[in-house]
Amino acid sequence: MSAKIELSVIVPVSESRYDGTQELYLEYKQALETTGLNYELIYVLDGPYPDVELALTKLIESGEEKLRIIKLAKYFGEATALKAGFKHSSGELIMTLPAYQQIQSDELPRLIALCDAKVDMVVARRWPRLDSVFNRLQSKVFNQILEGLTGADFKDLGCSVRVLKRRVVDEIHLYGDQHRFLPALAYRHGFKIVEEDVQQSQKDAFQRVYSVGVYVRRLLDLLSVFFLIKFTKKPLRFFGLVGVSIATFGGLILLYIIGDRLFAGVPLGNRPALMLSSLFVVLGAQIVSIGLIGEMIIFTHAKKIKEYTVEEIIN
Amino acid sequence: MDLSVIVPFYNEEACIEDMYNALVGALEPTGYSYELLFVDDGSKDATFDKAKEIALKNPRLRVIKFRRNYGQTPAMAAGIDHARGRILVTMDGDLQNDPADIPLFLEKMDEGYDIVVGWRHKRQDKLITRKIPSKIANWIIGKVTGVPIKDNGCSLKAYRADIIKKIPLYSEMHRFIPAMASLSGVRIAEIKVNHNARTTGVSKYGLSRIYKVLLDLLTIKTIVSFASRPLVWFGYIALVMGLVSVIAFICAMLLLSEAESGVAMMGVSVLFAFLMTFLMLSGVLCELIYKTGDQKVEDLSEMTSEEICYTTSNKN
Repeated sequence: MSAKIELSVIVPVSESRYDGTQELYLEYKQALETTGLNYELIYVLDGPYPDVELALTKLIESGEEKLRIIKLAKYFGEATALKAGFKHSSGELIMTLPAYQQIQSDELPRLIALCDAKVDMVVARRWPRLDSVFNRLQSKVFNQILEGLTGADFKDLGCSVRVLKRRVVDEIHLYGDQHRFLPALAYRHGFKIVEEDVQQSQKDAFQRVYSVGVYVRRLLDLLSVFFLIKFTKKPLRFFGLVGVSIATFGGLILLYIIGDRLFAGVPLGNRPALMLSSLFVVLGAQIVSIGLIGEMIIFTHAKKIKEYTVEEIIN
Repeated sequence: MDLSVIVPFYNEEACIEDMYNALVGALEPTGYSYELLFVDDGSKDATFDKAKEIALKNPRLRVIKFRRNYGQTPAMAAGIDHARGRILVTMDGDLQNDPADIPLFLEKMDEGYDIVVGWRHKRQDKLITRKIPSKIANWIIGKVTGVPIKDNGCSLKAYRADIIKKIPLYSEMHRFIPAMASLSGVRIAEIKVNHNARTTGVSKYGLSRIYKVLLDLLTIKTIVSFASRPLVWFGYIALVMGLVSVIAFICAMLLLSEAESGVAMMGVSVLFAFLMTFLMLSGVLCELIYKTGDQKVEDLSEMTSEEICYTTSNKN
């Protein structure tokens, strides 16, 4: 291939959800061909997936020259897999697709066309939903919490079909499980994002009930993104508020029972409230000092962390 | 280049051209070589287009456009990062500061000061919501940081570029730049400046939440006094906690009457001893952070130090 790649399509294969590799590839290919862009399609295997690898190598052997495979040596998480894909691709326009049927693939050209000069990122939203009420409810709760925490109003972050410009991924540092939050993070960086309704695939319509561990992890992910966005620069604003409140609460009780001892003669030594209030004071002081440690970290690294994103400089 | 003037703008399409003209009018007679840096803080109106129009005709004006609104401190930080002058002047973009004051700042800088801050002595703002809270805040900031400045909130300031570029500027720190800068032992001067009432647009800053300023102050105090020796700072507090622990221990042993059990008091003593240990270890952690970090107070000392030469005047 001598022509410049215009569009890089990245399909991360991570955790266990992937199906019908060969059919899916052919579907994607068919949809991408209609755009007329010079594209590459990169599968990133996040660890060993022998069956997927086998299916893909067979496809390459059969003459699919636009298909590439990147294999990570172990499981790193989907965000890392995506980053590996970004790094090895060269297109100015990037599209991420799930390794399973999530949307009707004939919608893809429409999404790509939407990502024009004025837009930095197009996020697909599965609508109308074909799947069960339970699925919709859990995804609604997730998106609502995220909106409450970050102010980024997205309806369907569970859909991993996204089209974005390369400058978006150059600027945003993703790690762990943050791939889900890419639109929210991009929004915080001031990129222009469009959410577009697309037809959900029939095969995506089964009911999904995850284990408790998955829900806990999602919740912690949300929390980590929240802190990342709100308090990275001012850890003491958060730790200080929590710590000072707890310590004040404990301190007030402590004052009250000491007053009782001094003026009313109520014995102090055998009151459980003494233990409790001291505990609160100690806890509060510890939380504040953790906040101060955070401030030290920020102070010593502040010159490296850019707080703003520049769109354009003239002269 | 002698001078860079940094002006953040947020939705100021009405006064950006006046600002430019006023600045050129004030700076041209000084004979300094200068550049103007307009930072568009993600304005929603035509601020950027107007600035661009002027900049394309006048190469002395540089415009930085943010992707979204980040606030005043990041806007100034961006200006400082991109400035090329030897002296940097920052000011508000709403014409409340008077560009005609800039030459006074330059004079002061030439006298050998490293930072010159403006003092809006006849401030044109509402008394109750703006002036009184700011008076109190300035008094507290002065007491806590040990840098008594009458008007920390005035944006019109001049800095030696090499010093301000080394000073971390983040979040809402622009209020505390003089305090932060005092880390390096800078010479700070304060001069009276004009303050105009707003002619166009609306004020974008209301009463800010008090807890933020208080916690920021705690941060600044910690950093300014103890950045290079955090163990000492944590050590002091740990000592106090140790004292509480000892008092509680003595209470448990002696003071309690027989009707009271000493067990709970003993527990309190142990708890505070734990806290003392925790604080000491936090101090050690901070030493580690300081050692591995990039921001070193020692580096700042080099810029403000000078060699004093004694000239023996009674030679003859």
